[in-house]
Amino acid sequence: MRRYEVFLKKDGRDEFRHAGSLDAPDDELALVLARESYARRAEGDRLWLVNREHVILGDPEFIAPNADKPHRHNDGKAIAEHRRNVREDGS
Amino acid sequence: MTGLGSAVREFLLAFADDEHLIGQQHTEWIGVAPFLEEDLAFSSIAQDELGHAAALYAIVAGDGDPVDDDLRIDDLAFGRAPEDWRSAQLVEITSDDWAHALVRHWLYDAAEQLRWEQVAQSSLTPLAEAAARAEREEQYHRRHADGLLDVLLPVPDSGDRLRTALADLLPLAVGLFDPVAGEAEAVATGVASAPFDSRLDEWTDRVRRRFDVDPARFLPAAPTGRLDRHPDFGPLLVRMREVIDLDPAAIW
Repeated sequence: MRRYEVFLKKDGRDEFRHAGSLDAPDDELALVLARESYARRAEGDRLWLVNREHVILGDPEFIAPNADKPHRHNDGKAIAEHRRNVREDGS
Repeated sequence: MTGLGSAVREFLLAFADDEHLIGQQHTEWIGVAPFLEEDLAFSSIAQDELGHAAALYAIVAGDGDPVDDDLRIDDLAFGRAPEDWRSAQLVEITSDDWAHALVRHWLYDAAEQLRWEQVAQSSLTPLAEAAARAEREEQYHRRHADGLLDVLLPVPDSGDRLRTALADLLPLAVGLFDPVAGEAEAVATGVASAPFDSRLDEWTDRVRRRFDVDPARFLPAAPTGRLDRHPDFGPLLVRMREVIDLDPAAIW
């Protein structure tokens, strides 16, 4: 058996979302079984199946160091306030 | 619609009974199919088949126009004595071996496709509509059965089990094509396009291609005209009536 990751998308502009995983012996059966395991109540109408072996992993040691850099979280408030002040002073 | 003649009623009941029993048989794998994903898929297929049966019983109970009347449909589905059923023995026998259940699923669905095609242009509009809906579901059923056989037939132990099951089931499966009472009338009135046994060669070709099986194996068991129930039918009906017998007049 191979393990597959299942992604579903509803009709419209929503993005694909991870729905879960499943075991199947090959790609064809994975598709057939994913339909019943994840979409039998019309949870989505498009599906991506990814063989887990093909997923490229980023582990926390490599990815997480960026979590302690608050200066990369500019939410625009300071700039917005500055521009408002300039606009009001200038009028 | 001026109402179904008793002959056409018999013809539709045979189809409904087959769909009902194959659905029931598949449901008995809920919780015990070989792996979780297959459990979900097979149960869902069972539900589809029961849906087809309900649609056909509703046409019969409504005398041509489908009714939405649980008690009348239940009465057809559960209330008849064994001798009033018109099912084929293929769907009556107990299958407690997964290879057996899978081969029956494939054989039945290969025939079912042809059977719906026979009524796809039916003069009975609700029947033609049921055929269109069923075929959308059946495409998936066939892909499911073929997908499993593609994987399992080449494996030595699995392949042997499947071929043993095939040898057991083939004579009964051919019985699906036995002419049923009322068929001539159904064809004459445009309810069906032609007798179902006109599709038998097409079905045997598919079976040969799928399983690479010796043609001599296609000798049918003695035709029953769908009047003789298999010994497994009695216990099956008891299991099917387990809930309804608690309160036959309950509305669900």
